[in-house]
Amino acid sequence: MDASELRGQLESIDTLPTIPSVLKGILKVIENPRVSLNEIGSFVATDPVLTSRVLKVVNSPIYGFSGRISSVSQALLLLGLNVVRGMLFGVSVFEIMEKSMVGLWGHSMGCAVTARIIAKKKGLEEPEEVSVAALLHDIGKVALSLKFPEEYEKILADAAARNVFIFEAEDAHYGLTHATAGAWIAQKWNFPKGLVEVIGYHHKPHLSKNLPVETAVVHLADILIRARGFGFPGDNHIPPVHPEAWKILDLSEDDIREILKEMDDSLMNSDDFLFQDE
Amino acid sequence: MPKVLISKLKPGMKLAKPVKNESGMILLGENTELSDSLIRRLENMNIENVSIIAEAQNEKSPEELLAELGQRFIKTENEPHMGLIKRLFEEHIRGMTP
Repeated sequence: MDASELRGQLESIDTLPTIPSVLKGILKVIENPRVSLNEIGSFVATDPVLTSRVLKVVNSPIYGFSGRISSVSQALLLLGLNVVRGMLFGVSVFEIMEKSMVGLWGHSMGCAVTARIIAKKKGLEEPEEVSVAALLHDIGKVALSLKFPEEYEKILADAAARNVFIFEAEDAHYGLTHATAGAWIAQKWNFPKGLVEVIGYHHKPHLSKNLPVETAVVHLADILIRARGFGFPGDNHIPPVHPEAWKILDLSEDDIREILKEMDDSLMNSDDFLFQDE
Repeated sequence: MPKVLISKLKPGMKLAKPVKNESGMILLGENTELSDSLIRRLENMNIENVSIIAEAQNEKSPEELLAELGQRFIKTENEPHMGLIKRLFEEHIRGMTP
C-alpha cells in the first residue's frame, strides 16, 4: 500500500462500523473549524457522560483553573475554540484509546500535563495550545489501531519482541510512523496548522519550521512522562531526546528538577482526570 | 481509584468507596478490608465491580522505582543528555519522602 492509499484509509476511520454513533456525532461537530462555541456547548450538554468528562479535564492540571469551572459554557469561553475542539477530540476517542492500548490515555494526559509545565517554564504565551497538542500527539496510534486492529497489534508485539521502538516497527511495516498518521488525522479534522505540525514532528522536532519550540516541548514532555513511568504508550522504552530540541529548550538542571517536582504535584490526583472513578 | 471486577478481588484489598445495595443502603463502609467471606458475599450480590484503594503504586520502594527507571532507560541512556535526565530522575526518586 502506498502512502496516499494509506492516508485515504486512515482519513475514513470515522465511517468504520466499530466506531460508536455517539463518537461519529462528536467527530462531525469537531470537523467543522467554524463551528460556534454555542453549537459545541449545546452538543456536549446533551450527553451527561461527555459533560462530566469535559469538566474533569478542564479542571485537571492540564489547564490552570483547577476546580473552578463548573459549566461547559464557561469552559468553552475560557479555553477558546481550537483548544476545546482538540480536547473534545481527545476526550471522545479516549475509550477507543484505552481499548486499543491500555494506558495510552494516561500517557496522553500525563504528556499534556507535563507539556504545560514545560511551556510555562519557557514562558510560552499559549500553554493550553501546547498541552492540547501533547494530548493528541499519539492520535496516529489510535487511528492505526482502529483501521488495522489485528495488524497493528502484531506491530506492537513485533516492537516488543525485537526490543525496538513502536515508531521503528511502524516504519518497517508501513513506511511511516504514527506521527505522520496523526498529522493526517489532525488535518482531516481541520485542526490548526500548528497542531498538525507538532503532532507530525513530535519524534523529529528538528524538522518543525513554524513551531520549533512548541514541538520541542511536546517531544521532551513525551520523554519525561515515559521516564516517570506514568501511563503506557505501547512500549516501555524512552526515545532519546533530539539534541536540537534540547538546545532550543535550554533548560538548566534546576529547571528540570523543578519540572519533575511539579509533575508529581500535578499527577497526584490523576485518578479523577483519567476517569477511573466513573 | 481503580474499579476491580468482583471476580478479581483478593483478600486484603480495601474499599475506596462504600458498597451500597440497590436502595442505596451502605452494606460495607469505606476502608473495609476484604476477607474471603466478604468477597464471597459480594459475589452473590448483583454488582459488577467495586472501587479499591490503589496502594500498589505508593508502596513501591525507592529501590524498585530505581530498578524500573533503569529498565526504561536501558536503550538510550548513552545518547546525548539522556544520562543527565536519568540522573535527575534518580535524584528525584531518592529525594521523595516515602
